[in-house]
Amino acid sequence: MLQHGTEAGFPATTSRRRLLTAAAGAGAALAATPLLTGCGTAQAKGGNLQFWNFYGPQRSPDPAINAQSKWFVDMVATWNRTHKQQIDLVYLPQPTYLNGFKLPSAFATGEGPDIFLLSPGDFLRYYNGGVLADLTPHMDQAAIDDYGSALDSRKVDGKVYALPMEIEPLAMFYAQDVWEKAGLSEADIPTTWEQMLDIGDKLRTKTRAGLVFETQPGYYQNFTWYPWMWQGGGDVMDHQGKVVFDSQATRQALALWQDAVRHGIAPRTVPAADDVIGGFKGGNVAMWQQGIWNVASFKAFAPKYRYGVFKLPVPPGGKYVTTLGGWSFCANAQGRNPEAAAEFCAWALGSMKDDSINRMVDWCVGAKSDVAPRASALERGAAKGGYDSEVMKKFKDEIFPGGRAEPRYPPVVYKAISDAIQGTMLAGRGVAGEAARAAQSIAAYTKSYKGASLI
Amino acid sequence: MSSVAAQQRRRTAAPAQSPASADTPRLSRKHREWLAAGLFLAPDVLGLLVFVAIPMVLSIALSFFQVSGFGSYQWIGLGNYRRMMHDPLFWDSMRITGEYVVILVPVLFCVSLGLGLLVKQKLPGVGVYRTALFLPYVISLVVVGVLWKFLLDEQTGVVNRAMRAAGFDGESWLGSPSLALGCVIAVMVWVMMGYYMIIFLAGLQEIPKEFYEAAKLDGAGPWTTFRTITWPLLRPTSFFVLLMSTVAAITGGLDLIFVLTNGGPANGTSLAIFYIYQQAFGFGEFGYASAMGSFLVLIMVVISAVIFKFTRGGRFDDGE
Repeated sequence: MLQHGTEAGFPATTSRRRLLTAAAGAGAALAATPLLTGCGTAQAKGGNLQFWNFYGPQRSPDPAINAQSKWFVDMVATWNRTHKQQIDLVYLPQPTYLNGFKLPSAFATGEGPDIFLLSPGDFLRYYNGGVLADLTPHMDQAAIDDYGSALDSRKVDGKVYALPMEIEPLAMFYAQDVWEKAGLSEADIPTTWEQMLDIGDKLRTKTRAGLVFETQPGYYQNFTWYPWMWQGGGDVMDHQGKVVFDSQATRQALALWQDAVRHGIAPRTVPAADDVIGGFKGGNVAMWQQGIWNVASFKAFAPKYRYGVFKLPVPPGGKYVTTLGGWSFCANAQGRNPEAAAEFCAWALGSMKDDSINRMVDWCVGAKSDVAPRASALERGAAKGGYDSEVMKKFKDEIFPGGRAEPRYPPVVYKAISDAIQGTMLAGRGVAGEAARAAQSIAAYTKSYKGASLI
Repeated sequence: MSSVAAQQRRRTAAPAQSPASADTPRLSRKHREWLAAGLFLAPDVLGLLVFVAIPMVLSIALSFFQVSGFGSYQWIGLGNYRRMMHDPLFWDSMRITGEYVVILVPVLFCVSLGLGLLVKQKLPGVGVYRTALFLPYVISLVVVGVLWKFLLDEQTGVVNRAMRAAGFDGESWLGSPSLALGCVIAVMVWVMMGYYMIIFLAGLQEIPKEFYEAAKLDGAGPWTTFRTITWPLLRPTSFFVLLMSTVAAITGGLDLIFVLTNGGPANGTSLAIFYIYQQAFGFGEFGYASAMGSFLVLIMVVISAVIFKFTRGGRFDDGE
């Protein structure tokens, strides 16, 4: 009965099946190609300079985003009105820019943008890759002095390779209503880790996290973890470049996050799928370690929401430190016109002219909510009332002064630290073992490392 | 003399052709078919050459270079492969990939087959069900990731809300290393089941109805009918699904991992494809990533060969 080819229409069926089989084989061969290519080509010279960024031009329902986009558009329009070398803004969505392959692969193929935004954590990768132009010849010494220590992590051998547009300190944000309903007052704001965990434990419910630390692996999680290590006197490398990660301070910082998760005070994933404003407004968070940039987001999306901020608490015998993040303008040393690109960066943010200083003021207290990295811009921003609100005042006067710039560790170092944080916090591994393993991995890497100073 | 005779024969034969064809020689039917096939195939062949074959060759070449910085290459021979052999994170990612494939492929196969059998029935509104089940397949994996991130949220996710309403404690679905990989697999099954359901449905519809009618007359029950008719005749389709879903499991899902877990918690969802991506585009290790990519392709070729061997390429017989 089931002899093939004897039924009407069966040969055709068999043929289709064979085709299917052949297609499967071909598909298997072809689908098995997650391969990577990299072939350098000379950067085409001439034409408008490309400025890749994740702010503008774009239109958004969020007024803060629109204001930030406008700042970029206006800046480039002003340059284009007054300079022969024209610049085009190229917008990339933030997730694509931050974690995507577009920027690194563009540079790897010799098609990188002429001007771009760079985070401190990525500085060395791009510097060692030879794509950062020296901005120093285009700046006055007075402007470099005006930046002060804000330029330290963007310098190599005294030369400036990136100009920060902002400083973004981390602090604890808390929900005032939740706080008050639990019978807590401002006097209860924690100053020690133990107090912070106790209050977090008190404020948590099944649908509300008592305390939130970043949970997703990445540069950002490391960025938010560093201050807890620094507060106990720990570090990744000392001033001589020796790896000192395996220390009591490191272990206690790893243990802090591990304990918070183990006891259910901090969640294993960030609430509201990482929507900070939504998480607070929805009553799903009591305290969340976050950055100053969220002040602008609260203002835009939840202007009436009652929240407060406080300095990161410290361990016994520890000293207050927070991390200072922030993005910088960079010029591509292998771009169409590196001189003009570098000149643009210095013109935009690194000149002593009023326009340049005011541009930074507009960004830090107008379009966004940040601490200005230049002393003059910080003064003008304060005079303009940009730091008058209770929250911004606290950031400027209390939280920022104890800050330390985000380190510029290359990927291997980042990954070792990230694995230690993830392994202890979310997999419950021993803090001593993870700290030792990461330290060994970093030490092995630094022995053969060739590039600019890691510290 | 013989050449004159030949010329005469040619002259005599000439009038048999149409007058027009004397000026414009026509292609034979066979050649016309070849030409048509070539034209139809050309776009795909071109695409495969440009986007698959050439990058593949370049990538294998790149795997022998140390890429430092951007666009700076140094020949290191098998250095990247030696590094790969001693990289515990890579082998962890391979182990996780193995677990992922071993669970995902059978589950996806069974679910898709079950759905295929279900939607083959003449149910009221079956077209709507088919569409609804296929729909997740057409959604971008990034959107799928965002969607499930909300659904699986510890505090506010629908899944935990439902569990709490039923009297259970909620779980940290994406925050526990023991659960996160299972969640990724479940979401991938949800995404892919519609596609393979359609493949199975096509395979099921090719089985002549007469076979089922005969089985019914012989008094065969549903299980016997499935075991003796449906399952054997689905062999080419099953082979196709098995092979394609295995390859898709090994190479796909990057976007989903990226959005849903970023390889965490504690590298628990760091599949080989994610680790390779991270090394290439996160860390700029293009040469090393190419070496791992080439190794992964080799593994896939071996697995595909094994599947071919044990299923005889889905054929009914050993010949041809």
